[in-house]
Amino acid sequence: MVQSADQAAPKPPRVQVTFSENDGCYIRMTETDENLMQAVRDGDVAKLGLLFDRHHRALFDFFVRMTGSGAAADDLVQDVFFRMLKYRGTFRDESRFKGWMFHIARNARFDYYKKHRAETLMPEDGAENVESRTPHPGRELEQEEQTSLLERALFKLDADKREVLVLSRYQDMKYDQIAELMECEVGTIKTRVHRALKELRQIFLKLSGERPLCIVKKSGNNLQIM
Amino acid sequence: MHCEEVREQFADYVIRGAEDPASLQIAQHLMTCESCRTEAEDLKTLWTALGAIPQGIEPAPAARASFNLMLEAYKHGLEQPAARSLWQGMNKWLGEWWPRQPAYQAILALALLAVGVMVGFLAHSSRVLFNIQPNPEIAELRLELADARRDLLGTRQMVAISLMQQQSASERLKGVNWSYQLRQPGGEVLTALLNTLMHDPNVNVRLATVEALRQFGDQQVVRQGILEAFTHQESPMVQVALIDLVVDLHEKESIGTLRQLTQDSKLDVSVRDRAQKGLAEME
Repeated sequence: MVQSADQAAPKPPRVQVTFSENDGCYIRMTETDENLMQAVRDGDVAKLGLLFDRHHRALFDFFVRMTGSGAAADDLVQDVFFRMLKYRGTFRDESRFKGWMFHIARNARFDYYKKHRAETLMPEDGAENVESRTPHPGRELEQEEQTSLLERALFKLDADKREVLVLSRYQDMKYDQIAELMECEVGTIKTRVHRALKELRQIFLKLSGERPLCIVKKSGNNLQIM
Repeated sequence: MHCEEVREQFADYVIRGAEDPASLQIAQHLMTCESCRTEAEDLKTLWTALGAIPQGIEPAPAARASFNLMLEAYKHGLEQPAARSLWQGMNKWLGEWWPRQPAYQAILALALLAVGVMVGFLAHSSRVLFNIQPNPEIAELRLELADARRDLLGTRQMVAISLMQQQSASERLKGVNWSYQLRQPGGEVLTALLNTLMHDPNVNVRLATVEALRQFGDQQVVRQGILEAFTHQESPMVQVALIDLVVDLHEKESIGTLRQLTQDSKLDVSVRDRAQKGLAEME
């Protein structure tokens, strides 16, 4: 597809821009996630590498926030991409890649949880197991403490409630996308988000000794709890 | 609007900040209802604070290399079923011709045997009668083919060893992967694999090596090397993989090592558990 630089495309979901020489001219080529996955489905499995580069961090983030373990998240990311290959035939022309990917990711997480529940390797057993985060220099101590408490509170939520918050807040998924993923009504998701937040607030207050959460204000590019 | 109706909309208007005609009514309600206003503010604060939780853990540096390895293995697997399906097709075709009755099967087998004997006898007689000598050109070509095969095997071994000595972990993984192409690897390749298993700094490379060594598990030097490798490993994942390997290979000499592992309190509990299970299977 030939496109000039200022010609705005009708907002494709994800576009990779590469340049390829053709008859001495450079043309601009775009490949959406859906196009790439269709190619993988049709036998060009090497294209999955591009999808890995684009999405493995987002998946890793999802799994870390759900399991609290970086090692488990690494394993699960690999498992998701393996399942993508295994079940590539189920990707339909009208499928949206991100939704399909998270559908596989959720199944992988359920299986992982079932498999490891009986063993000592914990998956989502609460805040005490959350791996320590990289320290952020310059952050106020109180802010650090509140963020840490909130993170612990988040891990004390039931997995299904935490999941809806993680998808909505950190994966930036819209309610209708989450509803499609979880095969329920959009209204149900809105109610779940509302309830999950209320419960999260209760847990936070309990952990903080009924000390309310400070207001978070945006300062420059950083969020600060004042 | 009633409080209940307003609160049902919090997910849209308070958290996501959506704007449509209903948001005006909600805003008006919030101005007059203190309890709804307090809840709305609390939820908004919480939503913003959630955004401040950093995702401080990075994916493992070898994630891409592990993915590449998996992809290569999958591609390799894709090629195998194609070959198998051809074989299955031939099998099916022959099966259709093969008689169902045991008596006919015996007759057909005897007839085929007789034909084979006759063909062999005729071939021998004609060579004796007409004094046919083996074609020297064909014999020479056969020798060249055998040489070429040896050269190819040597090249593959060289590539595998060379890759296993690279700085980059993904290159070393490729080297380990190359060993799958060697049906009868020389001592140098086995030594390189065992060295990688014992000394490679990357866990993923060591794990891939454990799997690669599985195919050569019938060789004594490999079995001894695997047992020796237990003393060099600190990663629980590699230790578990090694335990699985010796159990699969039914290596009786590993029983003592497994017993030591079960009693070593410094080891990860999952390693000790796996060693215990392995012992139960071996004994």
